[in-house]
Formats: sequence, C-alpha cells, structure tokens
Amino acid sequence: MSNSERFSQFRKQSKKGILVIYLNILYKALKAFWILLFLFIQKFSKISETTLLYIYLGIGLLLVFFLVRAFLIFQNFQFKIENKHFILKRGIIKKTNTSIPFDRIQNINFKQNIIQQLINVHEVNIETAGSSKAEISIKALSFKEASALKNAITIFDKKNVDQKTETSEKPLLKVGFLALLKVSLTENHLQSLLLLFALLIGFFQQISELFDGLGKRDVLDDYITENTSTLETSVILIVGLLMLLTFVAVLSSVVRVYLRHFNLTVFIKNNALEIYQGLTTKKSVILKKGKVQHITISHNPIKKKLGISFITFKQAISGKVKKKQDKIIKIVGCKSAQIATIKDVLFTNENLEGLDKNFSDIYFRIRLYIRSIFILLVLNVGLYVGFENTHVFWANILLIPIFIFAIEISFRKRYYLFSHELLLMGSGTIETHKTYLPFFKVQNVKLKQTMFQARKNVADVVFQTASGKIKIPCMQLEKAQQIYNYTLFKVETSKKSWM
Amino acid sequence: MTDSFQNIAVISFPDISKIEFKTIEKQYLNVILINTAFIFLIVFAILFFIDYKNYLELNESIFWLYAILSIALLFVVFIKLIGFKKRKYAVREKDISYKKGVFFRSLTTVPFNRIQHVEIDQGPISRYFNLVSLSVFTAGDSSDDLKISGLLKEDAQQIKEYISNQIDE
Repeated sequence: MSNSERFSQFRKQSKKGILVIYLNILYKALKAFWILLFLFIQKFSKISETTLLYIYLGIGLLLVFFLVRAFLIFQNFQFKIENKHFILKRGIIKKTNTSIPFDRIQNINFKQNIIQQLINVHEVNIETAGSSKAEISIKALSFKEASALKNAITIFDKKNVDQKTETSEKPLLKVGFLALLKVSLTENHLQSLLLLFALLIGFFQQISELFDGLGKRDVLDDYITENTSTLETSVILIVGLLMLLTFVAVLSSVVRVYLRHFNLTVFIKNNALEIYQGLTTKKSVILKKGKVQHITISHNPIKKKLGISFITFKQAISGKVKKKQDKIIKIVGCKSAQIATIKDVLFTNENLEGLDKNFSDIYFRIRLYIRSIFILLVLNVGLYVGFENTHVFWANILLIPIFIFAIEISFRKRYYLFSHELLLMGSGTIETHKTYLPFFKVQNVKLKQTMFQARKNVADVVFQTASGKIKIPCMQLEKAQQIYNYTLFKVETSKKSWM
Repeated sequence: MTDSFQNIAVISFPDISKIEFKTIEKQYLNVILINTAFIFLIVFAILFFIDYKNYLELNESIFWLYAILSIALLFVVFIKLIGFKKRKYAVREKDISYKKGVFFRSLTTVPFNRIQHVEIDQGPISRYFNLVSLSVFTAGDSSDDLKISGLLKEDAQQIKEYISNQIDE
C-alpha cells in the first residue's frame, strides 16, 4: 500500500494513543491540583472514614471521567491526506476541521516522552509558519506509521523528492556520555542556579499561598526569619551555604544538560540537519536550511580550552506564538570541524576568514561605563537601605573592578564583519558569541540614535529578523548608513525565500 | 572579498540619507495636542478630586504637585512640538521608511518584499481631521514594525494599494 493511499481515508491514531491522552490529562490535572493532594495526605489521619469514602469515590469518578474523555478525544481525532492537504477533524463537542496545504507545513518533528517511549509510540508534531492554532500534534503513532505520514507529506514537496537517495548514515555529530559530562561541567553554572531558583520560587509561592489560605503564614515566616538571623551571624554557615550553592549549581547544570541533550546525534541529509536528543523526552527535529534565520556559535574560556562550542539555531516564529522557546534549537559539544560543516551547509560558499573585524566606536565604551555607574548607584542605595550600615559601601572595592573588567572585555568582544551575503557579529562578556545572519533574511532595519550619540556621530543599527533582533551598537554614522543601504539593497534584490 | 569591496561598492547603492523625506500632515499636530490635553485633563481632574476630598491629607504639598504637573505639561507639549517636525516618511520604489524622535531618533525601513500585510486605522480624534495611521507588519515578532500616523486617508490608501501591488508581484 503506498503512502498516499494509506492516508486517503480518515483514520485514527494508534490505539495506544488512548493511554497517552489519558495520562496527559491526568498529568495536567495533577499539576493543577497537587496542592489539594498534598493537603489530603497531610490531613489523612484526621479525616473521618465516611468522608474518606466520599473522597475516594470522587477521585474514582474523576478517573473514570478522564478515561471516557480520553477515549472520546481519541475517537474524534481523525486525519487524512487529500489533494495535497493535511486534513484533521477533532473535538468532542466543539468540532474543529483543520486543513493545511503541504507547502505551508514548515516542519514535521517526532517526539517521545517517557510514556511514549515505554509503549513505543511517537508523537508527531506538524509545524506551520502561520498562526499557532494550526500547530498540530498527533500523540501516538507507531514509528512505521509516523515515517509513512511524514513521507506522504514531504513526497509532494518537490524540493524533498530526493529525500531517500542520499542518506548519509554516518552522523556528523554524536555526543556520548562522557563528552556530555564535559559539556555540562563547563556550563554557565550561575545561569543554571538562577533557573533552579526561578523554579523553586514558583513552588515556594504556591506553598506560601497554601499556608496563607490556612492562616498559618506566620508559622512559615517565623521559620524563615529564625533561620536567616542565624545565617547572618555565622560566617561558617555562609561559607557552607556558598559551597552548597556551588554544588547545587553544578548539579543542576549536569541534570539540565543530560535531560536535554542526552544521546545528541546530528545527521546531515540533503541540506537539512536532523537532530536527535533528550533523555526523558526524546526529540527529533529536522532543521531545513531555508527555515533557519540566524545562528549563534558560543563558547566560554573553559569550553574553548576543551575545543567545544554550542550552536543555537533560531527559526522563524509566527506572530503570537507563546512557546518561543520551541523554535530555538540548541546543540552542544561541537568541535570546530563540525561547526565548519554546519556553517557550510547553512551558508554555502561564504568565507569570512581573513576579513578585518570592525570594532564599535569608542562611544560604546563610554556608554557602558555610564550605564554601569547607574547600576552601581542603584546597587549601593539598595544595599544601604537593605542593611542600614555604612560598611556595605566596602563592597564597592570588589564590585568596581568586576564592572571595569566586564566592560573592557565586552567592549573588546564586540565587532562585526560582513561578506557579500553574510553578516557576522561578535559579542559576549565571559562567554563569546558569534552570530551569523545572512542579509536577505532581514525583515526590516532600524537606525537608532540618542541625542548624545547624534552629537558624537554614532548610531546603533538594529536588524529585525523573523526570529528576533540583532543589534550592532555604536557604529560611526557613515558606516552605519553604508551597512543600512547595503542590507536594504540585498533584501530588495533577493529572490530567495527567507522562510 | 577584500576591504575595498565594502567601501567602493557600498557607496553606489541607493542611499537612504540622500532621499527626500515628506513631513506628515500638519493637522496631525492638533490630534497630538488634543490627545495630550486629554491625558493631562484626566490627571488634573484626579489630583483636584484628591485635593477636594482631602483623601491623602496632602495639605501644603498639593500646591507643589500642581506646579510639577504644570511644568510636566509644558515640557511634554514642547517635546511634542519639536518632535512633530521630526516625524517624516518616504516611499521608495522598493521600500518604505519612517523617522522620528528628538532625544531618541530612529529611522526604520521596511522592504516591500518582506511585508506580510498593511493596515489602516483611525482614532476618534483623527477621524474628525480625516487622518489615518498606516501600519505595516513583517514576519516574526511584529511588535516593532513601522507605523506612520497622520496621513491623509487618500494618501494612505494610495500607499497601501501600491504596497499591495508590490507584494503580489
């Protein structure tokens, strides 16, 4: 049976899909009501047996209701392929009929979370460039079905006809267990820590709301102040805490990197990158050359010593997509040869070697200093108000050199250079970033000047792309206008599709 | 791809700093001033109400609040007056540009072949003066695209049609 015939009639997902949908509903419910569950367990002994019976009954009914709902969602979720359109019917009460023409489909990605891995089904996500409403997710298909569907859709796309002919079996990049350890140990641990804190604060708020609701807010507050007052007096505790924080930071980096990038494998297949990664949620993404708007190659001093970098790919995002993060794809642990290959795939025949770097105007440094002075002032006032002690101003002895160091480094790392088609911008403080942007992907350009900049005859140039802004700060006005004109010329004469 | 390419070749491209920008309709200054007056009227009214009912027990300092607000009004009107002359636009064969700003100057150019759609809208006060705003949207995070306020309705429609024709090509 050929692929197109296979999908010519309306059909459902694999039967295992019911389980996936059911567990998905359960997970959402649990996420929304975990506090209730927590309360229930806490008060377990105090609840009388008859109430307990009712609660069990209620939960049981809810579970059955969810199961019925999952079954109905499954029953009503039907799709087919007709006349180069992907057609989807869904909805239990409110029926929705979606039809997507093939040429609007941007990407077809496979994904597997833990449950999907266990029962061996794949989630198929169909991404379109249009509104977020048209993003379709088929929860459960066997691998055979999933690939058949993908082939059925892509076979009509003329550019993809030779999909099967040149399949290079050897991966361009494979990051093993040990290599990933190297990557994770050299991550930006401060960032990991902040991410972890953000997560914890979210939890803490939920818990404190709970205590608030129970009128036990004071208990929690007392508990915290009691502990913090001892912290302030004891230096040993602070040192201990710092060590603990460092440990937690490193650990969270490791966990984060392993969850996200476990078994990272990258293939190159006819001008597209196929990326597979993830531990609990396995993701496979196909990055088509045309869809990538710009890429950033980054490393920090330690990673540089080890010769590894990470690459961030930015794809076009449509107007109001909430999940911006989904369109940013990151791969880690790349060696310079692999970076060269990837660059060659994305920007063929563009050589930026040997071009002179154009650095920012001296005004950029002045601006950084002025901004830092403001930040320092605010910091000082904040510290003083916080501790009500003039000794805090000694902190400046440490802060000022750090600021000066950071400014000098980031000034030196800012540069740009360009060839016929490609713009390269360097930036970074501790980390070093190189952003590559082909001129024809620019959506609009801006020239910005504050009054002070106008007096010094410098300007910022902002390139707006379909996946975000790229800014070159403080160029001499003449150069800024040149690059402005050149970009417009490139965009306006370009016949290539930017997406 | 030597350095000389960047310097010799770039100069011969259409130069944005050489084209003539048009100012927007003078009438639009009225719209700006009326809008500003409206906002300040509300703030003054709130302040007067607080004063009258003596909610915050400001007593003496209320005078200073009035003074500060009046200075702010003068300042804003002054900025709007010089800012108005800086609002200029230009339509070229393949793109549309807009510049504005006194303290923070900006010049934006959107090439026609990247425009997703064009919108014309009209506020209540603008309607009285027969003025409209023309917005163009590009792909991606379109919050920061181009919007020209204070165009005559006929002009805006003409520009919109011109752009639409260019997009279709």
